[in-house]
Order: sequence, then C-alpha cells, then structure tokens
Amino acid sequence: MKRYELIVIGAGPAGLSAAVEAANAGMSVAVFDENARPGGQLFKQIHKFFGSKEHQAKIRGFRIGQQLLKQAEESGVEVHLNSVVMGIFDLGEITVQHGDGVCHYKGDSILIATGACENMVPFDGWTLPGVMGAGAAQTMMNLHGVQPGSRVLMVGSGNVGLVVSFQLLQAGVEVAAVIDAAPQIGGYGVHAAKLARIGVPFYLSHTIVKAEGTDHVTGAVIAQVDESFRPIAGTEKHLDVDTVCIAVGLSPMSQLARMAGCEMTEKGGAVPVVDEYGQTSIPGLFVAGDVGGIEEASSAMIGGRIAGAAAARRSGYLPEEEFREKASALKASLGQLHEGMFSPKNKGRRDLTVTDEGYLLSKTLLHHGYLSEEEVAGFPGAAPGKSAGIHPVIECTQNIPCNPCQDACRFGCIRVGDHMTALPAVAENARCVGCGMCVASCPGQAIFLVNDEEEAGTATVTLPYEFLPVPEKGAKGVALGRDGRVVCPAEVVEAKTAGFMDGTVLLTMRVPLEMSMKARFFKTGEGTK
Amino acid sequence: MSRLLDRNREIGAFVPQQDDDLIICRCEEITKGEIRRAVHEGMWTLTEVKRFLRAGMGLCQGQTCGRLVKGIVAKELGVRPSELEDTTARCPTRPVEMQVFGNEVHGHE
Repeated sequence: MKRYELIVIGAGPAGLSAAVEAANAGMSVAVFDENARPGGQLFKQIHKFFGSKEHQAKIRGFRIGQQLLKQAEESGVEVHLNSVVMGIFDLGEITVQHGDGVCHYKGDSILIATGACENMVPFDGWTLPGVMGAGAAQTMMNLHGVQPGSRVLMVGSGNVGLVVSFQLLQAGVEVAAVIDAAPQIGGYGVHAAKLARIGVPFYLSHTIVKAEGTDHVTGAVIAQVDESFRPIAGTEKHLDVDTVCIAVGLSPMSQLARMAGCEMTEKGGAVPVVDEYGQTSIPGLFVAGDVGGIEEASSAMIGGRIAGAAAARRSGYLPEEEFREKASALKASLGQLHEGMFSPKNKGRRDLTVTDEGYLLSKTLLHHGYLSEEEVAGFPGAAPGKSAGIHPVIECTQNIPCNPCQDACRFGCIRVGDHMTALPAVAENARCVGCGMCVASCPGQAIFLVNDEEEAGTATVTLPYEFLPVPEKGAKGVALGRDGRVVCPAEVVEAKTAGFMDGTVLLTMRVPLEMSMKARFFKTGEGTK
Repeated sequence: MSRLLDRNREIGAFVPQQDDDLIICRCEEITKGEIRRAVHEGMWTLTEVKRFLRAGMGLCQGQTCGRLVKGIVAKELGVRPSELEDTTARCPTRPVEMQVFGNEVHGHE
C-alpha cells in the first residue's frame, strides 16, 4: 500500500489549491479525481472572474485552472485521473478504482474536495432527453464544443443560470427565457443585465410545469406560482424550446465524509462540521470547497489553501507561527469575498432595499434583469453631467466583491475604495481619455464609454462585446436598449481588441445623441425583436 | 428526532395526488406515489424507503434523486427534510463492476 503525507480527493479548484499549498510546504501529495481531466468545473468557466487582483479577478476561469495545474506540476503534486475513490476507512486508508483494478493508499492526512452535484426539480416530462442540468449544458458547450440544443429554457436565475444562459448565447444557442420560482432574480444584477440587453426575457415567480414531447423535448409549459410556489391555474404559457436547463442549486457531495464517520451538519445538504481551518471531527481529515458548503471557485481556492496549510502544519512542515501568519492572511482574503449583498450571510435575503452606501436598489433589475434609465442616473458610476465629452458609465449597482475597474484606469477616474464591495464611483474631476481599459476589465460587462461630443447630433457608445463574428467597422445595424428592445439605428465605428483583453472586444457604435444613455448593445442588420 | 422515532404517531391515510405517476428515481424508475405509499406502509426512514423500493440504488447511487426522495418523505411525515437522516454512505461510492471490485492490485510501489 502506497503512502502519501497528504491525499487529496478531487482535482477541482479547492483540491488543487490545497495540494499545491501542502506540496510547497514540503509534503508528498497525491490527488485523485474520477474525471478524465483535472480542474473540476474550472475549465468550463469561460467567463472572467470577479474579485480583486489577489483573487485573480478579470481572469477567465479556465485560465485560472491552467495556472493551478501548472503550479501543481511544478510543486511535484501527483495527479491521478480516471481514479475513483470508492471508499475511505480508518487510519487514513482509501480504496481507488483505477482501470480494471482496485488499489489501496494511505494518507497521513486526507483532504476531501469532491465538490457538489446539481439539484434537480421533478416535473411532468423531466426525464425526457433534452432536460439537463445547466452544468451539463456547460460541459457540452465549453469542453466538448457541442450545442446542447437550439433553443433553451433556463430554470433558475442564480449566477449559474445567468452565466450559463450567456454562454449558451455565445455558443449560438437561443435562450427563450430565464424563469425562477422566486419573486426576484437570484444572481448578480450585472449577469442578468447582459442577458436582458440581448433580449432574453425573465419570468420571476414562474415555474416549469411540463416538458412536452414523446422521445425528446419539443416544448415547455411554464406557469406563474403563488406565494407557496404552487402553479396558478390559467397562467400557463407555452415556450417553443428543445432543451430545458435546470439551475436550481447544488448539493455538496459529502458521501465520503459521512462514510469516514465525520460529525455532520446541515448547510444546503449534509456537510461535515469543521474547525476554522477545514479540519473535520476526525483529526487529519480535512474538507475544502463546495463539499463543505456551496460557494464559488474563488473562495474554494482560498479555502483549499487554508486546509492545505493546516495539513502541512499537522505533519510538522509548517511551524506554528508561520502557519498562523499564512492562515490569517488567507482568511482576510476570504473575508473580502464573503462581504456584500450576495455573501453567505445574506444568501437568499429579499428584504434588502438599499446598498451599503444608501442608494436605492433597482427593482427593475431584480424583476426584469435590467436597470431603467432613471435608475441608472442615480448611481455614482453613472451620474450624468460629471464630465463632458467621453466618459465611463458604470452600471454596477449592487454591493458585490469586485474592483478591477479601479485598477484599470491609469488616471484614477474610477474609485471603489478599500472596501471591495462598494459601488464604483466616477470621480468628479475625472479626465477620461477614452482608452476603454475599464470597459475591458469589468467581469460583469457593466461599463460603457459614452461620448456625447463626437459630432453634432450623434454620440458614440463603446460596449464590451463577446460574440462571434465581431461586427466590422462600418457595419450597420440597430442599437438595443437595456431591455433588449431596438432603440435606434447604429453603425459600428470601431472594434478594438488586444491580447490582454482576452477575447473581449470594445465595440464602438455611433447612435443619435439622445440615445447615448439608452443604447447598450449592437445587433447587425435590421433586427426588430 | 423523537417525532420520527415515535411510530405510533398518526400521519393520516394515503391520499392519491395528481402527480403520483411522476418518476422520481430515474435509475430504478420509482414514482412519487410509490415513495409516498411506502411511508404510509411504515417506511419512516430514508434507509427503509431505499431498501423497500430500491430508490437511490441504481447507477447514480441517489445523486439525483436523493434530495427529492428526502423532500417527499419529509412532507409525508410532516417534518423538515433536514430532520431525516441520510441513507448510509458506504463503499463503493460509485457503481463498480464486481470483477473490478474483486481485483485488488498489489505491489504498485
């Protein structure tokens, strides 16, 4: 039986981070993962991450995965793929199915980082081919290059539902609607706004009652729900779709922790009770990432590093003092991600009406996925009249932990402040040169450059564009408003990109002057939808 | 837990529902009605329901239906889902062929 100082189960963001941290401290580390590729869900995340520079904000998830893998390689971590950990036993023994045999391994410490699985919601027809988890759709698109369908209904408006819907559109799939049984959108407003301005409708307080079809999905029926989430008769609506994606939350995959005999508690599913460093009730058995409670990849990576360091301390590789210093820095970093309206402690809250700064939250955003023009003007990133000529309009109106815009502007026009969750504000005396760095840096694609003094009677709007093909200079079409409706004709005057923008194109369109605060997306041709 | 252990507690008779034919455990094709009926036949723990119906014993090992079965059983018993103890987690966590399970590989030092 081969022995390692640390065995990590799961090669996702948490597991790999823990492995790297422990190996860098000097431990012999092996990671086992049942999948053919490492990285967990990271390699499916083609969007830019939120956070600050130290949280690798504005870097696309799959690139963070590549970095992590490289670090694992350099630090001497052994990554075993196609290796299913079948059992966990006393004294740090595990059994692993690899190929047509079963191997035994022993770890002085073991770290479980098995992540989570998607929740399902049963309805008439939910077992038909074409009904799938949003994560499954993401796997098909982003790992295998296959469209899951041609027209999709997304059930669930949390960040997973919103992000996957946008990626479906990027993959050339139509999104018929995003629905949610809750009365308001669950995920970040900026994610919803990206969909709304392309014309995706949101139906809140709605549920799916039926997926139609005999051997595959040929349509879906949705209906409004009452306060007890029961469908209201007579409100049914038919949608022409061939795919239904379910994004109604995740459950921790904690079977191994239960099998090991960890004391468990309830946190969106059964999770092991842990101390502040991720150690379970069994000494030497740690957990990190979603298996200990659903969060997201950035916090999973920090949690993994904390647990990896704790394992290194346990084996004597990290002196107590050094460990405490490291752990407290990591916990401070994690703490920053745990602030704001969507923090774990505010999860599911629907009673918030103002931001930390006292700005009234947009109800249109929560109910329809976009800001109304009047609401936009009230926020510090979009207040009108601050600077003439070209200037940024920041449509970021919720307290989320993210601040790359602040670092992006070389002239200090944009200020978030020390508190990463604060709303970005455009400085009174901002001297915008129109470089567009802020537009490219915003992971929420919520910053636009508006130039009201372009030419007499016209204005230009520069927006972040992440679709193919990129409209060429001179392309004529229409500008869409925040709600996805056509507001005016528009012409592309520039499509700028650079390596560091990593695929984001700064698309500048010319619109009539009075449309500069209405036009937020460009569509080639004479679209009318 | 005490409410769950008191098997004399009255939970009422089985009342048919419109969506009783809905499949909940896809792998073993167990319907909502079968699960609800099992509760009224005395299966008050998730482990009992699993052994009685095989719900959660198929290819996905309850990964998809586990939470759904729990919700249905809890509702039938009039308790919160979190009050119900999960079914026992045991090796192997994933389905594995017997010839593989029995093939211990030694000496891979």
